[in-house]
Amino acid sequence: MPRIYIDGLPYEADSRQTVMEVAAANGIVLPGFCWHPKLSVAGNCRLCAVQVEGRSWVEISCNMPVAQDLKVLTDSDIVREYRKSILALTTLNHPVDCGICDKAGECLLQDYHYEHNGAPSTSHEVKVHATKFHALSSRITLDNERCVLCSRCVRFTHEISKTKSLGIVQRGDTSLVRASGDGAFETDAYSDNVVDLCPVGALLSRSFLYKSRVWYLKATPSVCPGCARGCAVNLWHRKPEWKLQALDARHNRAIERITPRDNPAVNGPWICNRGRDLAPLFERERATQAICAGFSVATPAAIEGARSLIERARRPVALVSSWASNEELAAFAAALGRHFTVFVKRDREPEPGEVVADDILICADKNPNSTGALANFASAWGPGSTLPEGTDLLLVWGEGFDLAQVPQSLRTIVLDAWKNPGHARADVFIPVSIQTERRGTYTNFEGTVSGFEACFEKDDSVAHAEDLFAALAAANVAAA
Amino acid sequence: MKPYKRPQYWNSPTMGWWERAYVFEIARGLWVTGSIFTRNMWRWITGRKGALTTYYPEETRADYAPLNRGKHILVQRENGKPQCIACNLCATVCPAKVIEIEAAFDPTDPLHPKYPARFEIDYSRCVFCGLCVEACPEDAIRMLKEVPDLPTFDRDTLWLGKEELLTWNPRKDGAKR
Ligand code: SF4
Ligand code: SF4
Ligand code: SF4
Ligand code: SF4
Ligand code: FES
Repeated sequence: MPRIYIDGLPYEADSRQTVMEVAAANGIVLPGFCWHPKLSVAGNCRLCAVQVEGRSWVEISCNMPVAQDLKVLTDSDIVREYRKSILALTTLNHPVDCGICDKAGECLLQDYHYEHNGAPSTSHEVKVHATKFHALSSRITLDNERCVLCSRCVRFTHEISKTKSLGIVQRGDTSLVRASGDGAFETDAYSDNVVDLCPVGALLSRSFLYKSRVWYLKATPSVCPGCARGCAVNLWHRKPEWKLQALDARHNRAIERITPRDNPAVNGPWICNRGRDLAPLFERERATQAICAGFSVATPAAIEGARSLIERARRPVALVSSWASNEELAAFAAALGRHFTVFVKRDREPEPGEVVADDILICADKNPNSTGALANFASAWGPGSTLPEGTDLLLVWGEGFDLAQVPQSLRTIVLDAWKNPGHARADVFIPVSIQTERRGTYTNFEGTVSGFEACFEKDDSVAHAEDLFAALAAANVAAA
Repeated sequence: MKPYKRPQYWNSPTMGWWERAYVFEIARGLWVTGSIFTRNMWRWITGRKGALTTYYPEETRADYAPLNRGKHILVQRENGKPQCIACNLCATVCPAKVIEIEAAFDPTDPLHPKYPARFEIDYSRCVFCGLCVEACPEDAIRMLKEVPDLPTFDRDTLWLGKEELLTWNPRKDGAKR
């Protein structure tokens, strides 16, 4: 284990590490555009340069192997001077149109300029112009003027998503990032990660383009419910203090974008494109009206109706949701688990055109908590499953089950969050909250438990399933 | 240690016997206000408008200081489009948070791809600090010296939109295209 000295302080290092990695592992942030912990070393931006004590020149730390008693300086005069000139070079042809750049506020170039340069450009030459909106795919647009040619995006498609769909063409100040073939980038199911990877605002998500300045948004930690991997994500929504009053109030309760939240145990810093498109899934028209025997009723009345149905049932069956959190499932098991014969149902199946499974992140099971549900209730509901003989009450929790499959004479209770014309067939329908309105945990297919937080308040007419089961059970016990 | 002496911040009254008698000074005060009141009243009855009162909103003052921060306008480009690039810096700096901008993408104008589809200012909460004007990198929002002439019974009408801000006393900036 070599020991190295950074700015005079000793750090233990692994002999295979670089100076940049040792610094990052110890919380020392060295500037750099091209280095990324999960990608290979390109060493092209030269910004991470440090000075080895006793030498009169600088070398890049991201490609400097550690050696016993190596002493580096990260803030010496020549390092500072060098950084300054590198940043002047980087911005030579940079348009600096931060006012209309979606990256502004989280742009590395902005941060580094403030921290390490701060001086106006000394160049008198006319800037080289390039295409501002080059469609790399239907999801991503490239601003060639803002690109600092760090090649992170190119390395991502070569090393992580393995589609090799991006490359850099031409040389010098006419270099351009381009797709390696017509529509090559379109087929990359992880393409949107390059938007986060890009240290500047060169790669932009079409769906987020000009939607909001990033400082109006806040990130709530969550878990992607798109498949059984359960990737850690951040849901970005408008900060309450920036609530809109004159403009479309829907933005106050909308998920504006979804980005990965680094979780080494599950997904690392990546998620798939489908995970970024969850907002429309969550924001489908919600069910807010409870129904009891065909009439619209207040939610407490519907709960009362459900309670009496459960009380009278001799052989009730429940199909529980694999989109439910572990807490909700435990509440169901504790409150009603003994009374019901329980099956775990798949709420969602792969959609047409969706990548079903691959060996990077995407899993074939499109439900986040099948594992957690099956840990509580052993039997799964499959396509060929049938209701046990003598069933007189069916409780369906979540989506993915068509009530038309069962005879009209069977009593049914449905708990669902989204509107569906099929709900009208149920004897009792109670609207429940969705993931963005409550906190909880999911267990992914490998058994890793990850938690999510609430970002919005639920509607008053909507019940949290967890409380609902407690209410049903309290009544049940009182009656028994 | 010296004992603490409470500092005295005020003047002690210096009154002679005349002031102490009270009633004479009261009478003198009443005389001053009463005479000004009657003078103004007389001028008003005879149609000469006594005190320096502006009968707002029928009348507005003509003599605003040239740098008075009054009503906002949005500056136009030569083709009449707003110079604003919807960068939201004015909305961000605004201490009263009264500016709301909905940005949109215009693929047909490569020089100005981002523009405000809507631009709203709530005059019921604006504190006329002028920070929005200071913050604007494009000199797209200015405040003219005339005050917004908006007496109303309905708060909602105090939201002024892009059309009003662009067309009320329009200004163009020849330096920007
Ligand atoms: S990439 Fe960064 S520096 Fe360049 S325009 Fe965007 S925010 Fe500004
Ligand atoms: S587009 Fe972004 S990530 Fe790709 S090379 Fe340019 S700056 Fe780097
Ligand atoms: S003058 Fe001040 S309070 Fe009024 S809109 Fe501008 S920044 Fe906001
Ligand atoms: S600061 Fe100026 S350019 Fe930016 S949004 Fe406000 S008015 Fe428009
Ligand atoms: S981070 Fe080391 S050269 Fe770019």
